[in-house]
Amino acid sequence: MSVAWMRISAIAKNTFREASRNRVFAVLVLFCVGMMAFSIVLGRLSVHEEVRVMMDLGLAGMDLVGVVIALFLGVNLLSKELEKKTVYAVLPKPLPRWQFVVGKFLGLSGVMAALILAMSGVLNLFVLFVGGDVTELLLRAEALVMFEMLLVIAIAMFFASFSSPYLSAMFTAGVWMIGRGSAELEALAAGKLADSPARFVIEGLLAVLPDFSLFFVSGAVVESARVSIHETFVPWLFVLSMLGYALLYSFGALAFAAALFQRRDLT
Amino acid sequence: MSVVVVKDLKKTFVKGFWRKRSVALRGASFAVEPGEIFGFLGPNGAGKTTTLKILMGLIKADGGEALMFGKPCGDPSTRRRVGYLPESPYFYDHLTANELLDMMGALYGIDAATRRARGRVLLERVGIAHAAKRPLRSYSKGMLQRAGLAQALIAEPELVVLDEPMSGLDPIGRREVRDMLADLRTKGTTVLVCTHVLADAVTLCDRVGIVVGGIVRDQGLLSELLSPQILRVDVLIRATDEQRAGLQNRFDDVEFRSTAEGTLASLPSKEPVNGFLAACIGEGSEVLQVTPHKETLESLFIRQAQEGGNS
Repeated sequence: MSVAWMRISAIAKNTFREASRNRVFAVLVLFCVGMMAFSIVLGRLSVHEEVRVMMDLGLAGMDLVGVVIALFLGVNLLSKELEKKTVYAVLPKPLPRWQFVVGKFLGLSGVMAALILAMSGVLNLFVLFVGGDVTELLLRAEALVMFEMLLVIAIAMFFASFSSPYLSAMFTAGVWMIGRGSAELEALAAGKLADSPARFVIEGLLAVLPDFSLFFVSGAVVESARVSIHETFVPWLFVLSMLGYALLYSFGALAFAAALFQRRDLT
Repeated sequence: MSVVVVKDLKKTFVKGFWRKRSVALRGASFAVEPGEIFGFLGPNGAGKTTTLKILMGLIKADGGEALMFGKPCGDPSTRRRVGYLPESPYFYDHLTANELLDMMGALYGIDAATRRARGRVLLERVGIAHAAKRPLRSYSKGMLQRAGLAQALIAEPELVVLDEPMSGLDPIGRREVRDMLADLRTKGTTVLVCTHVLADAVTLCDRVGIVVGGIVRDQGLLSELLSPQILRVDVLIRATDEQRAGLQNRFDDVEFRSTAEGTLASLPSKEPVNGFLAACIGEGSEVLQVTPHKETLESLFIRQAQEGGNS
């Protein structure tokens, strides 16, 4: 094992251990499970659409809770370490700051992956319970949610490297909302705002910021075709390409985070 | 070659929306030589911790130079040779002492078997081996300080930098830490210790540097810094009111004070001592004790602090 990897994994392991003991996450996951359970009731109200309601609400709940947790995990990158003064014992070691950032990201991603796996497992059980099948389509959708969360963590860590947790949370949520509403914003820019300078602002933002709508595609139009987890969904190749997309954006966000963190005085 | 060289170090913090400036270091300079215990002393807010944080790469200086082993202090290769104990250390409280040392050892790039072996020895040495498997959140302040010392020594560093190492320790703990630092010196380890407990500095340090208002006012051997001149001589006598009045009449410049043990006469120098003792005996008073006072580290420290405050 190289020394750099030994250091990164020490930080990642510690971050995973610390974050996985946070009870807030357990509460949020329970909330998500509660939401899935409630969709059984909603499913009964629909006409033979229990499985559809369960899948749609379950995925939406998982995504929403996932974003909240990823945001919370990412923005606390440094503030918690400074508040608890733990960083003063760690960074004077022969640990370059970029390795600290990468270790933190890997640790947080591990926690997030574990949570998404747990929520996916519960969702799959609920789907089986209401008489549906755990199809490959559902697994692809769950994988996309997981990749989306990795990207949210990286974006939150980027903002946390130079601003306060509150501002970081606001910025990250803003980036996520812009990304999620990219299709609507694009239409707005091309339509009502076509002659306004705001159009260029929107187009600029959409060009730079990650397109989060690509991670939650059920019911959307992808490459001119409507996709849904209930009928025809995006192929594994698309899912893999989104993993690449998330990793590429995360790499960029973490590179900026490491560069900014390197310059920061830890008073 | 000096292990640590700090030359004309400057740091100003800018905080808040109104960019309020606060000068922490105004050009501090000192050097720590190999194998010595160097005490970095100063009142609160003098710039001690800022200097150490610059040395440890936690903050960047605005000007001047901070070198360790001849290289800039931010260089990770130099930090491989340094162990650091921050002031009032806080560690990840979900970890046990074993896990803490394992993690810190991994950050130094030490292999797992060596980490375990060194961890066992160190926890034994700092006296918390019995609590090695307990989470740090259950530790007292003194135990945390000991765990902090253990993690600072996990890489067997050539330079150990300690910020207030005695903080939170009981008298036995202080004694143990003093012995441990003396032991490190015997093994050739250089120690830079930052403290405001002057008694510790006197018993521990080979040399000291006194920082006040962001400037190192004095540095050197304690025997060099402290004036050998006798500043005052206290003579404790048992005398009646009449005898005391007689002495007061003859020695205007002597201050008399009643204490539980008798009358304490403070003479401004050593010159009048013989005459004063002869007068006491002549008056029929009983001389109980004669105590000459030289400059102490405390008085030097206070003098420097006052001069720093006035300048």
